[in-house]
Amino acid sequence: MILASECDVANVVICAPANVRELFEYTDPWFSIGSFHFTRTVFLIFLAAAIAIALLYFGLRKKSLVPSKFETAIESLVEFVRDGIGRDVIGPEGSRYVPYLLALFTFVLVGNLFEITPLINFPIMSRMALPAFLSLVTYVIFVILGFGKNGFRFLLDTVWPKHVPIGLRWLVGIIELFSIFVLRPLTLAVRLFANMLAGHLMLTLLLGSGVIFIAAFGDVGLKSLVGIPWFILGLGIFLFEIVVAVLQAYIFTLLSAVYIQSSIEFEH
Amino acid sequence: MQGNIELLKGAAALIGYGLAAIGPGIGIGIVVGNAITAMARQPEMAGTVRTTMFLGIAFTEALALIGFVLFFIA
Repeated sequence: MILASECDVANVVICAPANVRELFEYTDPWFSIGSFHFTRTVFLIFLAAAIAIALLYFGLRKKSLVPSKFETAIESLVEFVRDGIGRDVIGPEGSRYVPYLLALFTFVLVGNLFEITPLINFPIMSRMALPAFLSLVTYVIFVILGFGKNGFRFLLDTVWPKHVPIGLRWLVGIIELFSIFVLRPLTLAVRLFANMLAGHLMLTLLLGSGVIFIAAFGDVGLKSLVGIPWFILGLGIFLFEIVVAVLQAYIFTLLSAVYIQSSIEFEH
Repeated sequence: MQGNIELLKGAAALIGYGLAAIGPGIGIGIVVGNAITAMARQPEMAGTVRTTMFLGIAFTEALALIGFVLFFIA
């Protein structure tokens, strides 16, 4: 967008950035401590973590008889994760995993809402490293749980499922093995990453091109009015992205809970 | 010549993403449609149905998203 705004709109037909990969490449860090490079994204990650911790700490610090509005909101968030995701999906044992799910949900939600926060406007989950790490944590938890609760049967019954007719057992075994140990963590990370990246790209393209067109009014005259419907469409997508941000945080937590549950109650 | 190949790669990736979006589009339609039917028939089960519907959407959507990521990799 920044590169495109520098091009001469009066003469060049298509104003494209010189290289679209500038959206994906790492920028120069602000400063470095050893091998830790602090870019804007890293700073936003720490900011999101700090906001999530502060929300939960100040919301749940004291157990007052009549909670304030803020405390009520945080309590309803906890209740939503505990009852709606933890106990509903995992079952009576779900309370043990609520702290993890709550931390995950709050952090992902704050990180996603950065996309539509004015002056920040960058969903930290649109860098692949972060959803990949979060999904790796869930992966480690459900694999260790699966082996811990079921022993070696977890792997054996996946490859050789007893409830399937013998002729198809090998095929179902291969599919199940691939789906549990490869596809689950991969899709968990890619889903969050791709949704946030797609939303961010759409907002950038629509709002950015709208602004560029309208700003070029002096050069190209009335033709720049094309930018107005694009800008309005961008504002519509902006509202839609609020829904997407919350929904993706919910789905990420929900799927983590489902994977944990499928390791605990491995009855196949 | 080099530029032409780059353009062709971009076009092929676009077409590939378009194809990858067809199946999940139909699938999500079926999932949501049936979930609405279930909610209309048994409104007291709406909460459970909604959770399951989001799960179904998430699983179906994965294929489209993999196509989306491959579009950038290509």
